[in-house]
Amino acid sequence: MPQLVPFFFVNQVVFTFVILTVLIYTFTKFILPRFVRTFISRIYINKL
Amino acid sequence: MAARSAALKIDWAKVSTSLGLRGQTAASLQAFKKRNDDARRKVQVLSEQPQTVDFSHYRGILKNKAIVDELENHFKTFKPATYDVNRQLKAIDAFEAQAVQNAEATKGKVEAELQNLQKTLENIETARPFEDLTVDEVASAQPEIDEKTASLVSKGKWMPPGYKERFGDLSAV
Repeated sequence: MPQLVPFFFVNQVVFTFVILTVLIYTFTKFILPRFVRTFISRIYINKL
Repeated sequence: MAARSAALKIDWAKVSTSLGLRGQTAASLQAFKKRNDDARRKVQVLSEQPQTVDFSHYRGILKNKAIVDELENHFKTFKPATYDVNRQLKAIDAFEAQAVQNAEATKGKVEAELQNLQKTLENIETARPFEDLTVDEVASAQPEIDEKTASLVSKGKWMPPGYKERFGDLSAV
């Protein structure tokens, strides 16, 4: 299992942080706001 | 005697029916008509009375001739008072112009409102059902949605308050 080989530890840690950062950024900036907008529109339509 | 001929030409019954006057306006018109009729009747009655005085007859029967002379003098020098009605006429003209201007303004306002209402009616008639609307269309119709989204997102809240209570929660966790 290469993930248990110490040679790849630095590589794994680096990519974990990179991927987490990119994921969090895209979710907070693009994906979740769309969901919130949809929810709020749904609430508004149901109020009419 | 333009004024008199104009007054004679008015068909009072037609005025109140064709203009659809009601309430206070009709009452005022009635009052004005009554005043006009009264004045006309008075003029007629007065014009039927003799307008000359036979002073020689009175001189013959009265002993005091001086008073007859004095009365004759007064009668001859009497001049009916004339009134300058130009000011009133001018005021009436100004009032009329103002009223017409107001009416025009009101007409414009009413027309604009009618157009607005027509537009709204068209909107209502051509409105699509909610199922066919996209979120973008709803948000463009109600800019408040985008504002609320921005405020919730900036606070790090991803679920609007009251949403779960209303629509339920599908999350497994």
